[in-house]
Amino acid sequence: MTETGRGLARARTMLDLKRHAEAASLLAGIVATDPGNGTAWCLLTLAHLGAGRNTDAAAAAERAIAAAPASDWPYRLASTVQLRLDNTRSALQAAEEARRLAPQEWRCHLCVAQATLATKERFDDAEAAAAKARELAPNEPDVYLISGKVSLERGKRAEARAYQERALALDPEHVGAMNELGKIRLRRLGGAAAAHHFAQAARTAPRETAYGRNVDVAVRRAVASVIYIGSLGTLALNFLAVEAHLSRAQILLGLLVVLAVTAVVGAGQYLRMPAQARPLMRQRSSVLALAVSYGAILASAAILALSPASALPAAAFGVIVLLAVARLAAYRILRRKPDRAPGTTSG
Amino acid sequence: MPDDVPLRVHLATMLFAAGLRDEAVRQVGAVLQRDPGNAAALALLQAPGPVSPGDPTTAPGPAAPSGPTTAPGPDAPSGPDASSGPAGAGGAGQPASERDRPPAPSEYDWTRGEAEVGDTVPPMFVGGEPAGPGDGDPATAAFDVERPALRIDDVAGMTDVKQRLEAAFLAPMRNPELRRLYGKSLRGGLLLYGPPGCGKTFIARAVAGELGAQFLAVSFADVIDMFVGQSERNIHELFSIARRNAPCVLFLDEVDALGQKRSQLRHTPMRSAVNQLLLELDDVTGSNDGVFLLAATNHPWDVDSALRRPGRFDRTLLVLPPDRQAREAVFRFHLRERPIGGIDPARLAELTDGYSGADIAHICESAAERALLDSVRLGSPRLIGQADLEAAIGEVRPSLGPWFDVARNVVSFANEGGVYDDLAAYLKKHRML
Repeated sequence: MTETGRGLARARTMLDLKRHAEAASLLAGIVATDPGNGTAWCLLTLAHLGAGRNTDAAAAAERAIAAAPASDWPYRLASTVQLRLDNTRSALQAAEEARRLAPQEWRCHLCVAQATLATKERFDDAEAAAAKARELAPNEPDVYLISGKVSLERGKRAEARAYQERALALDPEHVGAMNELGKIRLRRLGGAAAAHHFAQAARTAPRETAYGRNVDVAVRRAVASVIYIGSLGTLALNFLAVEAHLSRAQILLGLLVVLAVTAVVGAGQYLRMPAQARPLMRQRSSVLALAVSYGAILASAAILALSPASALPAAAFGVIVLLAVARLAAYRILRRKPDRAPGTTSG
Repeated sequence: MPDDVPLRVHLATMLFAAGLRDEAVRQVGAVLQRDPGNAAALALLQAPGPVSPGDPTTAPGPAAPSGPTTAPGPDAPSGPDASSGPAGAGGAGQPASERDRPPAPSEYDWTRGEAEVGDTVPPMFVGGEPAGPGDGDPATAAFDVERPALRIDDVAGMTDVKQRLEAAFLAPMRNPELRRLYGKSLRGGLLLYGPPGCGKTFIARAVAGELGAQFLAVSFADVIDMFVGQSERNIHELFSIARRNAPCVLFLDEVDALGQKRSQLRHTPMRSAVNQLLLELDDVTGSNDGVFLLAATNHPWDVDSALRRPGRFDRTLLVLPPDRQAREAVFRFHLRERPIGGIDPARLAELTDGYSGADIAHICESAAERALLDSVRLGSPRLIGQADLEAAIGEVRPSLGPWFDVARNVVSFANEGGVYDDLAAYLKKHRML
């Protein structure tokens, strides 16, 4: 094996071990002595990508294309880099060039599907590319992952779910598919169900903190749904108090019903959560948001019960304002930086 | 002669006198690197401007700031004040042959010099003496079999770790009769895990020293070489070396690289390397021929679960960021060869809760850089002071955040069977969970 060959083998091993920065240093030395080595430039692109240095990765991908213009690999890498940089048009161009160079390579079609999806238009083209990838590589879980993403963007939730489940059937540790299943559930207000998928992904790939943050997002969504139901029930009580001239006792009874319903919904969400996510439901921001919301509900009931009949319309208006403000405040609290980790749903 | 300290001191004095302050500071720095206690150089550092401490080879005292306080102009004498005597450093009136004469170290009265700088140079450290020594070279040499002189007592602070180490590993090793009495097996190795830069390798060397065993360390670079070559044969060879040198502690540093979860590996040779490692581990633990297994990793969650089964690396020890006592020792270690004055390591340790040993090394480096730049800017060299270190602490953030992010994730979602309960307890105690 030549010195360069040994160096590339070392670099591949480092990349496999996720030692991206070390691999990048090694590869930088190799491309300095052998600047025409396309493989080295491609591996350097991968190393920069892994280390989160997207601009460096873009430069390396360009050099890879210059060194190996007839190979599809540098173009696929360039497409991935451009997607990271949010240059969706450039990503699509690179992916299409890769497909032109290697039309029988499933990865090229998948790359086109992914880049087309990112442009948020021409979903049919994305679907066609994903279908071709499925045809060329029916046993590759990644083709189902991207197919599922395309279906989800087209609003076909059941199909998207089926694709992700197929990906998981092929690779039970496919964390991307687990995450996508969570996102599908989250779109249907299934906070607890989504948390199960995200928690599974976090357990399978604990080094990837995005899945843990997604669990947090699902928990907050579940808390938000309890607040939503409570606010809705109180608004209904408010409406009945004005329209049906409810007595004080009836208003208090209505309040009890609202509280009971929200308590049942909240308890249901809590119990359906995976065990690892339950502490998150008890975290400070969740408790504070619920406290603000319940406080507004109790205050609303008190306003309605204590207001004389003649002042009820004005009181009802005040209750609507109070509930709206409380709900906004509660949601704002829930959107705050999580107690345990910063979080947004990652794709 | 780069190591000729008196000559450098002399040169620095001349340079100061000539107004070449930057170069003079460099020379003083070089002197202090070779001889941290050099009184003449320290006197130069203490002086407010370009000074003549006197030629240490000929002048009676190094600390007399008798030279001009301003840079000599064309009409000013280029040497120090003549009042320093006829033997003043590089006096303009001296014959060239004398000025150029190499200094003779034996002519300098060190005792007197020390006495004279006693009042002007502050003590290096203030406050109490350290509770335990913290020196030692944590670096490991690839495939070098050595017999470390370190002992567990050389590890400053970290009482919990030492106690658990004693209970889980050292006591059974040291007491074969009791071990037999209680039927305690020596099978299996110990996996040290924790955030990077917190002394896992240092502890492993101390364990080898404590057992009076040879120490064979395998670094990440060796691991990579194994994978590139004939990995199975290389791993077998490694264990053979350990057996030949028994009693020997075989230390696999960054074992997550060597024993990565096979499901995560695409590179075929690495998969077979993990299999070979498992075979060798079973052989070592089965024959129990004086090879003690130690491993360290920053990412135990990436280690193949097969590697952690009973009889392999079945005992784990969490090595957390250094405690106060350990941090103090780390400060002392990294400052021991620098020109410092008025340092309070206890205060520094107090300010660096949550910092790793590597972070503390970085702080010391930053403080030195700060003092050096200051010296160059002001034209007046000075010692590294407490303020430099405290300012550096303000600038250097603890590097362990990303590790604890992952750790929190692991504890929250992947703590199956309570494997990471000790880590969870630490995170809870520090309100990170």
